[in-house]
Amino acid sequence: MSKRKISRRSFLGEASCAAIGSTAFLSSFLNLGMINTLSARPHIISNTNDYKAMVCILLAGGADTYNVLVPTENTEYSDYQTTRGDLALDKDAVNPEQLIDLDYDDNGRTFAVHGGMTRVRDMFDSGDLSFLSNIGTLVEPIANQAEFDAGIKKLPLGLYSHSDQIMHWQTSVPQSRSAVGVGGRMSDILHDMNTISNVSMNISLAGKNRFQTGNQYQEYSIGNSTTAANIGLDGFSSYLNNSGLLNDIKNNTISNVVEQEYNNIFEQTIGSLTSQTSESIEIFEAAFANIVPLSTSFSDNNLSNDLKKIAETISVRSHLGANRQIFFVTIGGWDHHDNVLDNQNAMLPVVSNALGEFNDALTEIGMHNDVVTFTISDFARTLTSNGNGSDHAWGGNHMIMGGPINGGQIFGDYPSLALDGNDLNLSNRGRILPTTSVDEFYAEIALWFGVSPNDLDYILPNLCNFYSSSNCTQPPGMNYSPLGMFS
Amino acid sequence: MTYFISRCSCFIFILLFHHSFIIAQVDTIVLGFGGYEGVSITASGNSSESDPDNSINQDGYLPNLNAAARFLSQSTLGYNYNDIESVTLLGIEDWISDQMENKPIPFTLLDKVTEYRQFARDGLNNQEINSNSRMWDYSWWQYHMTSDDLLRQKVALALSEIIVVSEKSPFGNNGFALGDYYDVLLSNSFGNFRDLLQDVTYHASMGVYLTYLNNPKTDTLKNQYPDENYARELMQLFTIGLYELNNDGTRILDNDGDPISTYDNDDILEFSKIFTGLTWADRPNFGSNPYRDTSYIAEMAMWNNFHEPGVKNLLNGFQVPDRDPVDGNADISDALDNLFDHPNVGPFISTLLIQRMVTSNPPAEYIDRVASAFNDNGQGVRGDMKAVVNAILLDPIAKACDSGTDPQFGKLREPFLRYFQINKAFNANTTSGDYRNDMDYVYRFVQQKPLASPSVFNFYQMDYQPLGPVNDANLFAPEFQITSSQTIAGWIDGLYRFVMNENIADEYDIYSGEQNADYDDEISTIDLTTEMTMTNDNELHILIDRLNLLLAQGRLSEPTIEKIVAALKQFDNDDESDMELRVKLAIYLVMSSPEYLINR
Repeated sequence: MSKRKISRRSFLGEASCAAIGSTAFLSSFLNLGMINTLSARPHIISNTNDYKAMVCILLAGGADTYNVLVPTENTEYSDYQTTRGDLALDKDAVNPEQLIDLDYDDNGRTFAVHGGMTRVRDMFDSGDLSFLSNIGTLVEPIANQAEFDAGIKKLPLGLYSHSDQIMHWQTSVPQSRSAVGVGGRMSDILHDMNTISNVSMNISLAGKNRFQTGNQYQEYSIGNSTTAANIGLDGFSSYLNNSGLLNDIKNNTISNVVEQEYNNIFEQTIGSLTSQTSESIEIFEAAFANIVPLSTSFSDNNLSNDLKKIAETISVRSHLGANRQIFFVTIGGWDHHDNVLDNQNAMLPVVSNALGEFNDALTEIGMHNDVVTFTISDFARTLTSNGNGSDHAWGGNHMIMGGPINGGQIFGDYPSLALDGNDLNLSNRGRILPTTSVDEFYAEIALWFGVSPNDLDYILPNLCNFYSSSNCTQPPGMNYSPLGMFS
Repeated sequence: MTYFISRCSCFIFILLFHHSFIIAQVDTIVLGFGGYEGVSITASGNSSESDPDNSINQDGYLPNLNAAARFLSQSTLGYNYNDIESVTLLGIEDWISDQMENKPIPFTLLDKVTEYRQFARDGLNNQEINSNSRMWDYSWWQYHMTSDDLLRQKVALALSEIIVVSEKSPFGNNGFALGDYYDVLLSNSFGNFRDLLQDVTYHASMGVYLTYLNNPKTDTLKNQYPDENYARELMQLFTIGLYELNNDGTRILDNDGDPISTYDNDDILEFSKIFTGLTWADRPNFGSNPYRDTSYIAEMAMWNNFHEPGVKNLLNGFQVPDRDPVDGNADISDALDNLFDHPNVGPFISTLLIQRMVTSNPPAEYIDRVASAFNDNGQGVRGDMKAVVNAILLDPIAKACDSGTDPQFGKLREPFLRYFQINKAFNANTTSGDYRNDMDYVYRFVQQKPLASPSVFNFYQMDYQPLGPVNDANLFAPEFQITSSQTIAGWIDGLYRFVMNENIADEYDIYSGEQNADYDDEISTIDLTTEMTMTNDNELHILIDRLNLLLAQGRLSEPTIEKIVAALKQFDNDDESDMELRVKLAIYLVMSSPEYLINR
């Protein structure tokens, strides 16, 4: 059971058997359906040698994104101010500015970003970055509060709960609790585009995560301080005269032991994980030896260091055999039940600067037009205050950055922030029903990334709920673009 | 009787005989029966070497010792050879009873942190010095390296991974906030779960961690409402979970076959009103910052004028009355009773504890038995942790080594516990008797140490499914959630540093300029003298037998042992340093093997 590199055929067989044997979980039925679809319709991958990467930045904890992107038109701002109370940012404040205007005017609707996000504002204005507004996890469209309250629409499991919503943003199958995520499923489809099959398309700077777990493939995890010099296993130092031999004995014994056949499923799992790790380590060690230091300077914090490591990894992509790569980064600490203003004042500049630095670095290595970076988070937060923080809610605002996207836009519909007379507001706490599904967002990214429209239902099994009122007998076309993020 | 033993199993004979037989006699019975074919917890795994002579001369380890070690792997954070012998002498029931009745808490972490702080204050001649996180780390380590309440330690750490607070929080550098919270877990490990809920709810560390300290009542004019954080996580993680459960942990289904949520967001709003009005006990105003580092050690105080008045509609039709005058403490008591009496608590908490102690996927009948002990300890008392712990450890599924041959039984050992086991198995000791270790070194390799979870969802969640055979079988393996290529390589590298390089603990000065000239006074060193007598080529199987017992409870298979022995033979054995290297390499290779890493 070691070296578990299952062929598509065996993976389909095993997964189907597992699904039949376990009826307790919705996800099993769902997977069965998806897999039948997949096996009936061979997937299509392009044979081009172009390179594309996506970078998913998880703002873990549920970022209060209605203080990231704020309406400034007078009526809308007044609603914002009234609803948010002590959490409202003051658009007239100077030294420091609490809100900075975006170069944007949609029939009189104007917006600003949090005052700590100068780089984001600059990139928005220069066309390198756009926002998505009121996006969230959905099983199917829900028009308004009345439909929500009537209980006639399928809802994400565990609405407003961290563990569920952070999962659903990564799996995009919110009616179930699934181990398998959007990026992982893309890599199931596209893995063969890369030329070294031992190296995962999915590279994590945040350890295990659902986004990068597929049915066949999972992430390879590195740290932002990982280098060619420190990635290998520790061993006898070279001052021992036969250290090379001794290290070979040591490391080969570990390999030989983990590659044995095991009966116990946990031993199988740890054995194959260890085995895969040691194989990947060798390839990364060789690839990372080719990294040339970037001249772009990065701030010294985890997010900037993570993005720097990603830029470096992209710069040696050919040594990893990579035509497609999916990166995953987490910055935690957004669960601001308390002190949301102070915390965001400290944390949003970190995000903004890191994005700007990463954009600069991609330009430096000539990959600005090949990489798309976006943020996700558990949920946005209640518009109303709990004293000096906010609680869990639903739809929120996110950023997408990179040369390939249409910049300077706000995709989706920025909602009214009034508590009353607002048919998207689900509670007197100010919980906003999302009007754009994460499915629609991921679908456009997937198509850009090279996924065939025929395979979209494998990657996003709920997608057809959002693009057709028919029974989705046909996949959407290659030009499917509900949001218009890519030109 | 022979038949009974041959059917299984590790523990049966110990239970039957421990009062009337000494070990040698038990061995005789096993030997007379002629071995333990089919029982996977064998001595060396190499039947040709597991002959009776080995047991007589004490160089071989028969199933009773392996069974005792297996029990200790479930019931302790780590153990040594003497502990194994102690279990075989007492039997597991008496060992548990001895632990529960005769092993008091020797000192509180609060006292120890206070002592360290005073040491720093005196050293710096400044009585304003505050505690820090290192004082908590050292206190935890001192306790766990010196105290013999092994079972309590196990339960407390399990609770710390269920009712989570973490140093990754505003009090991350406050030794009192961390130490005093851990004292609550230690002191309630053999108490009643309702008392634990009470103590946790009023602990300022939890109040800060889940943001209900300084949580005021509704002010509609300001669009300001009670904080929902604790209300949600108390239900989702600490008491009842997301879905209505049968007593055996399976979900109750509605007429459509769907699971039934235990609560909805309206319930959270109601519970959020309960947890208003609490603040620091040592401050004259509601809404203040903590006064000093010791502010965390007093139970939070209720300010009724900041507590939400009126009726609160809680779960299962229970209503908190409209108290006049407002009485926040009575409201909290009602709400905790409401949750504590929910039928989910038994199966939910039992499942989590079994996952930490025995196996990742407990069968329904196992959960049912433990939950029943939670529901009623036999004397009509609900929530008796002693009854729960007994039920977990004495269950046939925990005891039977047949369970270990079930390919779906067992769990990945928590990485921190693997590290801790090195210290215990090889009797890590210091010359001073003072043990200092801030555990950051091990954390960097494996991303785990006590009270260092990244969030209230612990290091891993109960339903994590790693890709591969576990996910294919729709089973769970929580510990794999922190098992990435980073931490896999990190564990093996960590082992190298801990064992091969003897860099086992991580000590820094208590205060800057401590002038602690000799760190060795407090830094642990492991003792390998016994093992170093077993390094000749023809004795290496005895060495591996011993490590197999001490570390892997006999689970190493013959092929694994052969590969390790073959590797060791390629290293010299000419002098003491060679012997030491062979022993260390043996430990390194055993502890990186899948058969060690999975506890089954």
